[in-house]
Amino acid sequence: MSDLTTENLQKTPLHAEHIALGGKMVPFAGFSMPVQYTNGALKEYTVVRGGGAGLFDISHMGQVRVCGAEALAFLQFVTTNDVSKLSDGQVQYSALLNAQGTFIDDITTYKISANEYYLCINAANRHKDVAHLQTQAVRFDAQVIDESDDTTLLALQGKTAQQALQTLSDADLEGIGYYKFAQIKINDADTIVSRTGYTGEDGFEIYLPNSAAVEVWKQLLDLGAQAIGLAARDMLRTEMGYALYGHEISDAVTPVEAKLMWITKLDKGGFIGKTTVEARKNSGPEKRLIALKLSERGIPREHYKVFVDGAESGEITSGMHSPIAGGIALAYVKPEHAAQGDLSVQIRGKLVSAERTTTPFVRSRVRK
Amino acid sequence: MSIPADLKYTQEHEWVRIEDDVATCGISDHAQEALGDIVFVELPEIGRVVAAGEAYAVVESVKAVSDVYASVAGEVIEINEALESEPEKVNTDPYGGGWIAKIKMSGDTVELLDEAAYTTFLEE
Repeated sequence: MSDLTTENLQKTPLHAEHIALGGKMVPFAGFSMPVQYTNGALKEYTVVRGGGAGLFDISHMGQVRVCGAEALAFLQFVTTNDVSKLSDGQVQYSALLNAQGTFIDDITTYKISANEYYLCINAANRHKDVAHLQTQAVRFDAQVIDESDDTTLLALQGKTAQQALQTLSDADLEGIGYYKFAQIKINDADTIVSRTGYTGEDGFEIYLPNSAAVEVWKQLLDLGAQAIGLAARDMLRTEMGYALYGHEISDAVTPVEAKLMWITKLDKGGFIGKTTVEARKNSGPEKRLIALKLSERGIPREHYKVFVDGAESGEITSGMHSPIAGGIALAYVKPEHAAQGDLSVQIRGKLVSAERTTTPFVRSRVRK
Repeated sequence: MSIPADLKYTQEHEWVRIEDDVATCGISDHAQEALGDIVFVELPEIGRVVAAGEAYAVVESVKAVSDVYASVAGEVIEINEALESEPEKVNTDPYGGGWIAKIKMSGDTVELLDEAAYTTFLEE
């Protein structure tokens, strides 16, 4: 049985490299991905937080190119953020909503030129996103091209990320600001390099053709970067309080609940889901996302119930033991409990007291 | 993979060292390796009476929560409080500093395997 499942999983171009590094491969969003390597998740986490450079294969994520005279109008209609505010070479965090105003996906939008954009989408949502975008694009002079299968995506994150990557390129990486990107050569390959990431550390995400993946991966490891698996990646993102599709956001919540109104621009003109989001904003959310920290020992984990003044109020969407901040979690609670009431988390039948806090749980060192 | 010959093991990957009527218990090297980095251990309360096979402690790794089952029936008379601040000892020294509790045996045990039987069990 399990063999059949394994055979059905997609492999990234770096699959053999993960195996060679002792990667413990697990199914993730239809791919076989390393959850950790031989040193284990905690040591990997420490590399990234502790001043090194971590190298992540995130090729499972999808990439979509949007071209055409009405590319901007199309993206204004299908995404929540204001794409007209983007300059060439700039990246924007955004979302795709359905007509009910709930999330199809969260994405990043790259503006290459007036008629060309590039979207990075979640692996698990790729086919759903592409089908949705292609359906919507029919009414615009815009082409939606799914480049996911041809693209390797690496993240290089941590204090020494730039130093390592600079060795492989003549381009001026120092000139790439936060949430900016450049199309540069690495070795002889055409790549997109953005100063973005999911860790709260300085660093880059590197989109490159599959044919260049193994060489760049090996070069970055030779330069001192260390391979990091999914477990450490999730620790790093949770410490930042970044939303993850299927956890904080899903087709059951709108940006009002998910605290993502900052990427939802109601004043930019019409877009899919706008009417419902506006109505929800006026009527008030059904629940609210909060950040909490246990006051006692313990690990708050996904799906654990959150209690306020002794009564059940909601549940945890992401939670962990942070080596720096202790037991931390994101949770949905009833709106009236977002700011008041004594919080606790039910762990194995016992209520463990907690307090509200703010994100990031751990100081972010992204370069702003 | 370390499987000391002077200990007994269970199919749930606990180990036990029986001296007179006191059993020192922990999880095996195989178990800690399969779980990965242990970041939290919930110890039983001293005085708790456990049945053989009863879940009496919890170890949590980065990704998973796992029950630890009592290899023997009896009363918990000592717990390894050092694990509250250094849960990683379960990984680094599973048969030494990573012990979980001492149980004063009342007689009953789960099926205990010697080194050879546990090795065979792991291979199967």
